[in-house]
Amino acid sequence: MVLTILSGCKKEYLETAPTGSVPSEGVFTTTDGALVALNGTYRYMWNSLGGSHGHFGQKAVDLTMDVMGNDMAIHGTSYGWFNAENRFTAHLNPAPGTRSAFTWEYYYRVINNANIIIKNIDAATGPAADKDNIKGQALALRAYNYFYLVNLFQHTYKGNETKPGVPVYTEPIITGNPRGTVAAVYTQIIADLKAAETLLAGKTKKQFAHINQATVKGIYARVALQMEDWSTAATKAAEARSAYPLMSNAQYVAGFSVKNTEWIWGLEIPNDQATIFASFFSHFDANTLSYAQLGMQKKITKELYDQIPAADVRKSTFRTPGTATSTFPDYSQNKFRLPTPGSWAADYILLRSSEMYLIEAEANARLGDAGKAKTALEALIKPRNAAYVAPATAPDLITEALLQRRIELWGEGFSLLDLKRLKLPLNRASGTGNHVAAIAVIFTLPSQDPTWLFRIPQSEIDASDAINPADQNP
Amino acid sequence: MKRKLLAFLLLSLFAITSAMAQNKTITGRVVGADDGLPLPGVSVRAGSAGTTTGSDGNYSLSVPSATTRITFTYIGYVTQNVTIGATNVANATLVFDSQQLAEVVVQVPYGSISKKAFTGAEATVTSAQIQKSQVTSVSRVLEGLIPGIQTSNGGGTPGSSAAIRIRGIGSINASSSPLYVVDGVPFDGTISSISTDDIETVTVLKDAAASALYGARAANGVIMITTKVGKKGTSRIAVNLRSGLSERGIPEYERVGAKDYMELMWESTRNANLVARNPATGANFTRAEAGVAASAILTAPTGLGYNPYSIKGSGLVDAATGKLNSSAVLLYQDSWADALFQSANRNDLNLNISGGAEKSDYLLSVGYIQEDGIAKFSDYDRLNARLKVNSEVRPWLNAGLNIGTTFSNSTGDFATGTATSNPFYYSRYMGPIYPVYERDANGIIVIDPVTNQKKLDWGVATQMGARPYAANSNLVGTLALDERSTRRSEGTANTFLEVKFLKDFAFKTSLGGNFYNGLGTAYQNSLFGDAVNVTGRSTKSDTRNISYTFNQVLNWNKNFGDHGFNALAGHENYSFEGRFMSATRTGFPFPGVVELAPAATLSAATSFTDQHKIESYFSQLNYNFKGKYLLSGSFRTDGSSRFYVDNRWGNFWSVGAGYRISEEAFFKKFTWIDELKLRGSYGQQGNEDTGDYYSWQGLYSLGFNNVNSPGAILSSIANPELEWEKNVSFNVGADFRLFNKLDGTIEYYERTSQDLLFSVPLPLSTGLSSILRNVGTMKNSGVELQLGYNAVRNTDFDYRIDLNLSKFKNEITKLPQAEIISGTKKLSVGNDIYAFWLREYAGVDPANGDALYYQDTKDAAGNVTGRTTVNNINNATYYYKGTAIPDLIGGITNSFRYKNFDLSALVTFQLGGEFYDGNYANLMARGTYGQALSVNMLRRWQNPGDITDVPRLQRGVANQDGISTRFLYDASYLTLKNVNLGYTIPKSVFSKYGISSFRAFVSADNAITATKRLGMDPQRTFNGTSDFTYPIFRTFTFGLNVNL
Repeated sequence: MVLTILSGCKKEYLETAPTGSVPSEGVFTTTDGALVALNGTYRYMWNSLGGSHGHFGQKAVDLTMDVMGNDMAIHGTSYGWFNAENRFTAHLNPAPGTRSAFTWEYYYRVINNANIIIKNIDAATGPAADKDNIKGQALALRAYNYFYLVNLFQHTYKGNETKPGVPVYTEPIITGNPRGTVAAVYTQIIADLKAAETLLAGKTKKQFAHINQATVKGIYARVALQMEDWSTAATKAAEARSAYPLMSNAQYVAGFSVKNTEWIWGLEIPNDQATIFASFFSHFDANTLSYAQLGMQKKITKELYDQIPAADVRKSTFRTPGTATSTFPDYSQNKFRLPTPGSWAADYILLRSSEMYLIEAEANARLGDAGKAKTALEALIKPRNAAYVAPATAPDLITEALLQRRIELWGEGFSLLDLKRLKLPLNRASGTGNHVAAIAVIFTLPSQDPTWLFRIPQSEIDASDAINPADQNP
Repeated sequence: MKRKLLAFLLLSLFAITSAMAQNKTITGRVVGADDGLPLPGVSVRAGSAGTTTGSDGNYSLSVPSATTRITFTYIGYVTQNVTIGATNVANATLVFDSQQLAEVVVQVPYGSISKKAFTGAEATVTSAQIQKSQVTSVSRVLEGLIPGIQTSNGGGTPGSSAAIRIRGIGSINASSSPLYVVDGVPFDGTISSISTDDIETVTVLKDAAASALYGARAANGVIMITTKVGKKGTSRIAVNLRSGLSERGIPEYERVGAKDYMELMWESTRNANLVARNPATGANFTRAEAGVAASAILTAPTGLGYNPYSIKGSGLVDAATGKLNSSAVLLYQDSWADALFQSANRNDLNLNISGGAEKSDYLLSVGYIQEDGIAKFSDYDRLNARLKVNSEVRPWLNAGLNIGTTFSNSTGDFATGTATSNPFYYSRYMGPIYPVYERDANGIIVIDPVTNQKKLDWGVATQMGARPYAANSNLVGTLALDERSTRRSEGTANTFLEVKFLKDFAFKTSLGGNFYNGLGTAYQNSLFGDAVNVTGRSTKSDTRNISYTFNQVLNWNKNFGDHGFNALAGHENYSFEGRFMSATRTGFPFPGVVELAPAATLSAATSFTDQHKIESYFSQLNYNFKGKYLLSGSFRTDGSSRFYVDNRWGNFWSVGAGYRISEEAFFKKFTWIDELKLRGSYGQQGNEDTGDYYSWQGLYSLGFNNVNSPGAILSSIANPELEWEKNVSFNVGADFRLFNKLDGTIEYYERTSQDLLFSVPLPLSTGLSSILRNVGTMKNSGVELQLGYNAVRNTDFDYRIDLNLSKFKNEITKLPQAEIISGTKKLSVGNDIYAFWLREYAGVDPANGDALYYQDTKDAAGNVTGRTTVNNINNATYYYKGTAIPDLIGGITNSFRYKNFDLSALVTFQLGGEFYDGNYANLMARGTYGQALSVNMLRRWQNPGDITDVPRLQRGVANQDGISTRFLYDASYLTLKNVNLGYTIPKSVFSKYGISSFRAFVSADNAITATKRLGMDPQRTFNGTSDFTYPIFRTFTFGLNVNL
């Protein structure tokens, strides 16, 4: 009884395409298209993952790594952001949406986007130099992200080489890989950095966020330091900083939010691309009623503050005890702040020459070359404190370089990496001006305790055939 | 129209039976009790004599002089006997029998069908039932009236709608919502844009036979809304005026006051100190030291920050006992609830003009609703108009037009989550010591020297201190200055043309369109709060959706003796286009301006367009033999733009059969059975609603720009194999009417959702979180019972009881991986979609006040040997602990009429099911500075040996708290959903003013709600979890219905 009445519409009637997206296969036909994918990957590094105010890409991880260390105290509990990280509970929860799950997802999403670029760039139409530039950057991004993953989800490299690291992917696939050993992850990181360094020779940045050869060297220096490969660290650090002179004292106290001569790598963030409440400066800038720093000002500990000489310009980025105001409690930081009131345009620092000097100093001292170490330290610190004199012996220089790292790089995401690398216990100072029991809760933790380790997301364990519950960190 | 149609049928039956007796002539007039309008075509009988009323409701009947009684019968109305008086006049006022009328004709896809000939499962509510509830959205009417549906109340935001599930939960990741069809056209607007006064019936189609002809989107059932039409041969003016007052329908949780709060927070701080190192001694705090330190910090800036008492500093709470100093005087106590909430007005006025001539009918309706929210600064108002015209242009040609337009404006589109701008979240968790208005040292309200007004306290250090809860905010201040509004313009326009030819054929083509425009404003003011640092932020968004459905249907109707055939075949296009645009700017030079032009800085701008299309071919055949044996079958094929070309088309079908056994000769001996029909159906429907229009495509999401370079990031990978989710449904049921008093329906169904559009989790390390695939199977099965009992029915007094009960079971029978944990639930084969997967709370350790949880103990082989308790929640074992799916849901309506008074009461209820009350869990936190505490905290553990179910207070305690059965409650509830008491003023009082009926009523909606936990709203969600949304409200209404 079925009657056919009218013929249907044309076949195209049911073809629809989105306007906010493009088909994947169209992206990599040209190098210009691949560059769009590369820029999107960089943009993702300051994206607010899931809209959460506690997730804003790499700088959220950097902040997490600082509040998990000894030197940064949080003033109160107000809106609660980063309190759990400070108490060492956030990263122990493998549930969806938690610190460990978001961190894992963030890094792997960047890696996957880099992998797609690496896989497809060779077949794209366009100048060879552009292909090299794009591929080199994608390789370096992959290395950079694996470096953080392996350091968060396992103890440091040295002595743990055979322990399970994180799954390694060098091409885009949708089946899960098992945890590679720490050594295997580092092997991939080094291979990628070496390849990137070659590919990026002579290339220039098209955006400030792009990685150039100096950036690769800087990342390499950071990686080599973690691996205790002192000579590589020293060499790469010196090369990385060569074209990036230190910022002036005026720039040093200007808020760490506008890129300057010293910045080798950072993320330039215009106002319309800022993530506002879900941003690094929302959690730091106390000059305006930004948001999550409200009542939760980030403070240097008295213990570290007291070790900065009065004449050192860096000391002025922290509130002098006894001069507290309603918005700036004693020891609260003013190192990081928005450059312009009324605008969220503020750049994120990722790599700068000062860190390179510190790597040079420590690595040379560990190699026994006190002269080079002393030169590097003084080159860095004398501009900040004219009276500065570095110690003379290698062991003293190591100690001094480590102290200067804590001062110079305060708030830039090195605390956890350094504690792990140096196999130091958590040892938080308490009492006035230091950590408060009700906020920090945890004061000590032995070196290499399993509590240091981020938990692999439960959803990874559930969805992957290659990782089972026994693979979870202890 | 129905009434007119019936009148016509009856006229033709009874006009020929006019009596010829001589003895006396009785005259009279018959009107409807509901509206006082004349009823044409009513059967008037006395013994063998009979006639029908004319179009004016009048009749004249010759009867033998001995006749004393006349019987008035009319389909859809209660039969009435009237005694003839000395005057030979017998008037009748017939009472509408909603149950009976609903049975006559059922609205089905592409037409309507006699209920008796229908093989599918459906339920209908009529305008009389709808109008008892004083609600803005018709979606709120169905709860408790229709078996087989479950509703979540959708919160109480003015103008909002309830969510509905028909026969269980149909899908895991795709939509489980039914398809709404308004006057035969799939509806894409907001349900609350349709005036409830315009609605004649709402029909819920539940099984394959009923809904398969909407195959493409019918998997989760169909809700057919049919608007009123003018009645031929009449003209009528109806005015409905309702005015009401609303208040909170769910009470707020009980929280402690200032004194208890101070003491509890002191104890929490003291207990935290006990496990910390005393910097002064280098060892852990002793109990005495811990108390001293707690007293010192309690009101300090790093503690609560505020002190509303006359005694300042560490003297306020005794360091040894933790008791508030007895000489301390409370200097102020503000109520945030009083400052933010209100008793709200609701006004609703509707004018309906309708009528018709011989060949055409019309309806014009205009309505206005103004509904304030129970939270200040939130309201909804709506102006709606509808024009409906149908005409028989030629005997072979019918045409009609139905245009509805709505303009609405809602303000106070508050955030629903933990955002500070959500007044419900904000006020619930604000500690009791934090004032709305700034106080000086003596507790006197500070007057702003500039404005001379009471100065609000923003919780910032420059005022009374940095409030540890929601610093830099005061919603009394910001909500007044902010704007969160949506202005909507909506329209529907449906037209049809129907041509009849070759006697048995009709060809009908319909074009129906929906238009929606929503202009959103989200403005944060420049003076206070979140956007101060950018001097104000305004986002303007514009959503513009246009959809249309265009169909051509050929219908054939033919009887060959005892064989009746009805067949149709058709073609349909559905097309949706949604355009969205938004921009955000900051930097406003002057307060009060929310438009973008004056703002200095662009902070975001975007726009996009979405398209969705479906093309369908369909056919249906109904057959009956002697009206006794019924068969139906339908077939439909749909193509959706959501799928790749090779997998785009899905085939959907149904078969149904009915057997009116009460029509059999051998059954006539059961005289008490008036009607008994057995029916069954089986079929397959489809679901393509993945919530994303381009599900199969591998895409890069644009807009991830890096400064001035365009950027894109992978958002989905190609999945060309993706196809329709299928829903195979089986239904058996019986419709019956017994003793001419009891009518009802009983049904059993099974729905199997297969090839689920499943968001299959991928290992996050692949850089993707999930991919849509057609895997997984889920089954819903259940029984439904609907009963109506006319207990008493006479001239002065009627009493009817309606009862409906529904029970369903949901079971996952296939999954892409062994288990998927999501929030408080775990999906696994053999369990249901909303089964709770939680750690089990084991109470409080009397020795130290620790919260305890159960942990399985295992032998070396990993077998569970028993269980123990642990005080670290992370070591606790997860168990399946109940489900959010209730054991039984239902509704009971009691309707009375005594003379001119009518009263009805609807009670709805749920038995069983669990609800995880996260709202309450937050109030039972171990002491967070600034955050309110439940009164149940007063029974916390305090000293060794205390037996209680509330663990000790301790700020920042680690690994003790988390989601567990501790906050899981029985979700059973009982709600007096609606009570409506009316009085119809006797016509004699008003008829001289031309008023044919006048009814006044009072009603209460959501009058009483009883739940297992005060403050909990178990109807908040289907999955049994709480959020911080606008609570539903209770509304008391006074109303008038006037007909001219």
